[in-house]
Amino acid sequence: MPTRIVSHFKTNIYDYLEALPKTTLEKLYEEPATCLAIFRLLPSIARQLVMSLLFDKEGISKNDLIKWIKNDKESLDKFDEAFDKLTKLQMIEQNEKLTLNESFRYSFQDCLTGCGSRQSFGIPLEKHKSKPLDISLLDQYAIEKWENILHFMVGTEKSNVPSASVLEVVTKANLMRDIGGGKYEITNKGFQFLLQDVNTQVWAILIQYLDIAGVMLNMNVVEVLNFFFMLGSLELGQDYSVEGLTPTQRQLLDDLENYGLAYRRKKGSTRYYPTRLATTLTSGNAATVSSNVNIDNTDAGEDSATEQGFIIIETNYKLYAYTKSQLQISVLNLFSELQFRFSNMVTATITRDSVRNALKKGITAQQIISYLTAHSHPQMKKRPSLLPSTVKDQIQLWEMERNRLVVQECYLYKDFKTWSDYEMILKHATKLGVVVWSNESKKMFGVTEAGHEHVRAFIKKKMAQRKSNGTGGNDNFMGNGVNRSTPIGYGDSSNSGTPAR
Amino acid sequence: MVKAVKGVILKCDPTVKQVIYKLNEKERDKFQLIIEDLDENHLFIDSSKVDYIKTEVEKLLEENTYKSELLLPLNDK
Repeated sequence: MPTRIVSHFKTNIYDYLEALPKTTLEKLYEEPATCLAIFRLLPSIARQLVMSLLFDKEGISKNDLIKWIKNDKESLDKFDEAFDKLTKLQMIEQNEKLTLNESFRYSFQDCLTGCGSRQSFGIPLEKHKSKPLDISLLDQYAIEKWENILHFMVGTEKSNVPSASVLEVVTKANLMRDIGGGKYEITNKGFQFLLQDVNTQVWAILIQYLDIAGVMLNMNVVEVLNFFFMLGSLELGQDYSVEGLTPTQRQLLDDLENYGLAYRRKKGSTRYYPTRLATTLTSGNAATVSSNVNIDNTDAGEDSATEQGFIIIETNYKLYAYTKSQLQISVLNLFSELQFRFSNMVTATITRDSVRNALKKGITAQQIISYLTAHSHPQMKKRPSLLPSTVKDQIQLWEMERNRLVVQECYLYKDFKTWSDYEMILKHATKLGVVVWSNESKKMFGVTEAGHEHVRAFIKKKMAQRKSNGTGGNDNFMGNGVNRSTPIGYGDSSNSGTPAR
Repeated sequence: MVKAVKGVILKCDPTVKQVIYKLNEKERDKFQLIIEDLDENHLFIDSSKVDYIKTEVEKLLEENTYKSELLLPLNDK
């Protein structure tokens, strides 16, 4: 389960890019920084392919391309996957021969050879002009801003309400929901969001921002994406000039400050600094981890326990969390009863009420268990089963307890004259796949609301047939055996055209 | 003659079924809650009473849940 939760951020941005229309992608590829960023997101085989095709104007046939791949199933599968990705991103054009997308090829060539306009990678300002900004200050700023959003989500008491644009994004993304009176509540999706690493979170928010930017803020999606990707290629601690940014991108910069992705000494300043959150956007995992540590602990790097896991649970539902992070404590508070707080740990109990509170918010038992598993203390990992099974089972039982009643709207068919009537109509309804419940001895069955019309029509048709056959009216509905064979035969043939389910 | 009745099929465990029966008894003068007793785990009921049943069942089960006394003072804080 944890693997699903920590799904990689790359998949998010892939999905987004793949869904873009071809013209938008073409425009994106005009920007060298964007090409580099997208290239970095590709799987390694795809990167190989791009590099091989980069300086090849003539193109190459797909069969020749496959010859470069090791001839076993695993490698070929990987090739297919990579090829599929490249095609979906419109990076490969398939005519008689395969070539790279023209604008991508030119921009990426420029990017690697260092030709073309420098602006694509931001305009760094001269170093000695002003005294350089301390990187730790930048980190602190980013952490503060980002944690503020997360704090707000988990509902820490002292947290400030983030700016309106941030609020807009979190509610649109369904991470929080407006419960009226200017109050917001975390949703099931929001909890899932909290479980992910920072990089994934940043991307999730940015993608949501993109959606809003296109529709509501009238921003050009291409410019926004270009800016995101450019940020990913900037250098931490360097200051960059806002010159060369389009008006849209300047507006964007204001918003990104709210998320702690960019920093300016004062509003309207012509220089900006990308923070660690921004510069690790498109890079590998190593950077992610180091930023993760800094973010999770307010005291950067001092204790790395948070990263390794810090929660110990006993079979008596007592929970000890070795953390100082206000954020982690707030997350715990979502589903446990906090008891004591010490300088480096908190104790809590998992109770029926606390779990039910979480469940009411839409957080699932599985999510709680995944969270506990993912953050359990190394000491816990020595045990054969990670979490005490009593606790794990009980949390699930508490969830089941809330669903003791399963309700389904339906129509109940009853008072069948004969068993054969019952059987025939039930058989028809089963074929349609609309039966919710049936009982032979009572000669009753229930069908879904959607199925009711069909079943009723079927019965009416049978009754009309009966009448025309002259074997009596409703009283004698399906009463005698002679008659039975005809309707069933008829029923079968009429059913053959109906989709079964 | 075949009849089709609109309503709600309620799937529950036998315990909850008994609770609903108790409710039915209590409100017998006012309205009919249970239209048909289907089997051990299923009841056929009036669809307009679903919310009522849900809250009542919740309340009753809540009353019958053991709560650790040890934790109570702490919860109050």
